[in-house]
Amino acid sequence: MRRQSLIFVLLGLLLTASLTAGQFKLPGYKKVVLKNGMALYLMEQHEVPLISLSAVFPAGAVEEGERYGLASLTADALFFGTASHSKSELEETLEALGARYNSGAGMESAEISASFLTKDIETVLPILAEVMTAPAFDPVAFDRAKSRRIQQLAMIKERPQRVVGQYFLSFLAGDHPYGRPVTGVPATVEAIDVAAVKAFYQAHYGPKGAAIALVGDFKTSEMVKRVEALLGQWTVKTETPATVPALNLRFGQSRVLLVDKPDATETQFYIGGAGIARSNPDYTALQVVNTVLGGRFTSWLNDELRVNRGLTYGARSGFTAHKSGGLFAMVSYTRTEKTEEALDVTLEVLDRLHSQGIEAELLKSAQNYLKGQYPPRFETSGSLASLLTDMFVYDFDESFINGFQKTVDGLTVEKVKRLIREYFPKENLQFVLVGRAEAIRGIAGKYGAVTEKSIEAEGY
Amino acid sequence: MKLLRWGVFTLLLASQLIGQTRLEDVQSFTLDNGMKFLVVEDHSIPNANFYCTFKVGSRNEYPGITGISHFFEHMMFNGAKKYGFKQFDRVMEAAGGRNNAWTSQNLTSYTDWFPAEGIEKIFDLEADRIAHLAFVDKVVESERGVVLSERITGMENDHFGFLDEQVRGIAFLAHPYRWSVVGYESDIKNWKLEDLQRYWEIYYAPNNCVAVVVGDVKFKQVKKLAEQYFAPIPGRKAPRPVHTVEPEQMGEKRVVVHRQVRSPYLEILWHVPETRHPDYYALDLLDDILGTGRSSRFYQTLVEEKQLAVQFYTDLSDAFDPTVYGVNAVCSRNVAPEALEAAVYEVIDELIENGPTAKELDKVKSRKLASFYRQMETINGRAGGLGRYEIMFGDYKKLYTAPEAYKNVTAADIQRVAKTYFTKKNRTVGILMSEEEAE
Repeated sequence: MRRQSLIFVLLGLLLTASLTAGQFKLPGYKKVVLKNGMALYLMEQHEVPLISLSAVFPAGAVEEGERYGLASLTADALFFGTASHSKSELEETLEALGARYNSGAGMESAEISASFLTKDIETVLPILAEVMTAPAFDPVAFDRAKSRRIQQLAMIKERPQRVVGQYFLSFLAGDHPYGRPVTGVPATVEAIDVAAVKAFYQAHYGPKGAAIALVGDFKTSEMVKRVEALLGQWTVKTETPATVPALNLRFGQSRVLLVDKPDATETQFYIGGAGIARSNPDYTALQVVNTVLGGRFTSWLNDELRVNRGLTYGARSGFTAHKSGGLFAMVSYTRTEKTEEALDVTLEVLDRLHSQGIEAELLKSAQNYLKGQYPPRFETSGSLASLLTDMFVYDFDESFINGFQKTVDGLTVEKVKRLIREYFPKENLQFVLVGRAEAIRGIAGKYGAVTEKSIEAEGY
Repeated sequence: MKLLRWGVFTLLLASQLIGQTRLEDVQSFTLDNGMKFLVVEDHSIPNANFYCTFKVGSRNEYPGITGISHFFEHMMFNGAKKYGFKQFDRVMEAAGGRNNAWTSQNLTSYTDWFPAEGIEKIFDLEADRIAHLAFVDKVVESERGVVLSERITGMENDHFGFLDEQVRGIAFLAHPYRWSVVGYESDIKNWKLEDLQRYWEIYYAPNNCVAVVVGDVKFKQVKKLAEQYFAPIPGRKAPRPVHTVEPEQMGEKRVVVHRQVRSPYLEILWHVPETRHPDYYALDLLDDILGTGRSSRFYQTLVEEKQLAVQFYTDLSDAFDPTVYGVNAVCSRNVAPEALEAAVYEVIDELIENGPTAKELDKVKSRKLASFYRQMETINGRAGGLGRYEIMFGDYKKLYTAPEAYKNVTAADIQRVAKTYFTKKNRTVGILMSEEEAE
């Protein structure tokens, strides 16, 4: 591990992979639907003798109701032993082969991912299939993981940069499922036991609504047979996935959530409002506009806050796009005494976007940047496997990727004006400030109606 | 027997691997001014990278200018002769490129990622700042604010980093590894423009740097562009070596620091040799056995069985000079740091006593190979690996013999290095806890 310090840190803003394309065309792949309804994506890549797997299930946080953390704890526990392997056997076997494996739940789905050497397929694939179809949820391991989770949730509040984004989500989305803390809060996690996890698993993990993508060094026809043999007989019945209501955010006034951390020496802030759904036809075009505002080092936000004024180490903006809606935010942080200046400058930059738009030369630069940085995103078998399951979860196909360059190049100064007007909030902005309230309470009211809470208060 | 069988197997895998990312794919040349280039043509994506690493880091600093290497890294983006203030980033991004940079105790590295057809622009930009960096007072002052913000954010959001600065500060008595890369706040506030200028003159010479280009390029084209853009930059006298040798530690050192935290943090450092030392490979595998993955000894004992730690990591960083191996952990609720500390020693003592099992050794060796493949999957992995071996191990070719070097490590080697370095006399222990809890 290198002790390094990057000149530009990625903030905790949830930027869903902005799929931006240059000459990149998605390599050929095959999609098969097994008889039990499970979708299977296969893409051969023979550069190195590795295989990557990504499996998704409709078992994200949107399915858990008020039991925050249930989906995430369930996904984490998938590797806690199976019908025929204990937890430690499983870990030792996979690690002895140099395989990597992970599981976790996000807002809209749960994912199992793995990477292993081609030669180990006969050992690894059956284990992964068992993890999906017959997890044992070892109760001792579960209780330990749960206890660690509760402690980590408390510890994370000591690091404002790690929690400011969740405060923002909860403040804006309110009771909507998208406002939920996916990793839970101590009280809700405390109430989840292994029986609840098993029940959640039974209700949401099955072949229906699930997809597996395999990318790497294999023969497609052989791989289909293998997967069919391992998972083709899996026929459990699961619940119909929850319908998430559209996130229609309309704010009648500007509001400020001030989260007090009395020992803080700087203020972390998010400013924003309503965003877009993942399926929005302007999704790609908005990445171009956002590149100028806060999507790269020379973006207006970073230029103004960091380069011109030395107020911060980094400033960004972006859209968080889920299936049924999303959020937009501008994000940065600064020394406590500079809070007002940093907030004012951020608002000035947003005003500039509305009043000036983006001139042709700068638009060209943003287009080039997105296209130029596109191909490396899908360089590895792991990133391609995730892309394929993203296509499944978010319901888009390769035309989205292969048509990207055209969409980007098709943008004009006039179209950009419309996008800014339509999608970038201008009035009734929503603010979250995490910092020393005593020092910034006075200025917070300038930006909207203030709600104050202690960072020690449970949840977000 | 199992070990031997694996040995044979590893050998087969290693030769297969060299077939995929062959040593002969790496081409190299050195300009008259001493600037060395490594080039790999890889046409899998229409992109390329340029990694330019200078052999300068915080170990080249002294009290009064700590953090200047890192600050310098920032200044390299603030304008030169042909491309003035802000132009480096603007021109690069407008051409579809992106960049970053990092500074460590040993090195400062500049990394560009770009569509391959833009390579000439990248060379032009890089050569301009290496040859003609501008030093403008106003710009230095603004950047000082950025670096202070970086230090404050780092310290505020990272208790491990805060503790590490304190523990390293006493683990080393004499060697510059005792201060953090970001530097002391008072030094950041007070160094002068002349300090920067002097630093640049000494260390930012073409002969003090290694450049790596991997991607959709042609060797001939890279060489031609290098001759055109970098060859005119004059070479300079080699910088004076860091000659301070850390004296042998004569007994355990301990430090307790306070900050409002829910659970205590623990860091233990042991002095270990530099990366080029023959014990490196055994130490690296020892680190894997102790700290990598859920089946590692620390994870199994500290996190799972005894539940003494909620989080931990180990650290063996590359280093030109003798360095430290670190164990860092956060106590579980209601666990005293002393209990966690004792458990760390128990794990280590058991390993010193009995050595690793054959199965464990197999595991860490095969994992090294799989990691090697994963690194070789991307043009950035290749560039990073080649640069690292060229600079830290003295020869990029060692990247290709590393699988063999790891294969040759025996259980006895691992047991020996554990016994040699993990002694009480050789360690420094740091605890971070809130003041109330300490009382």
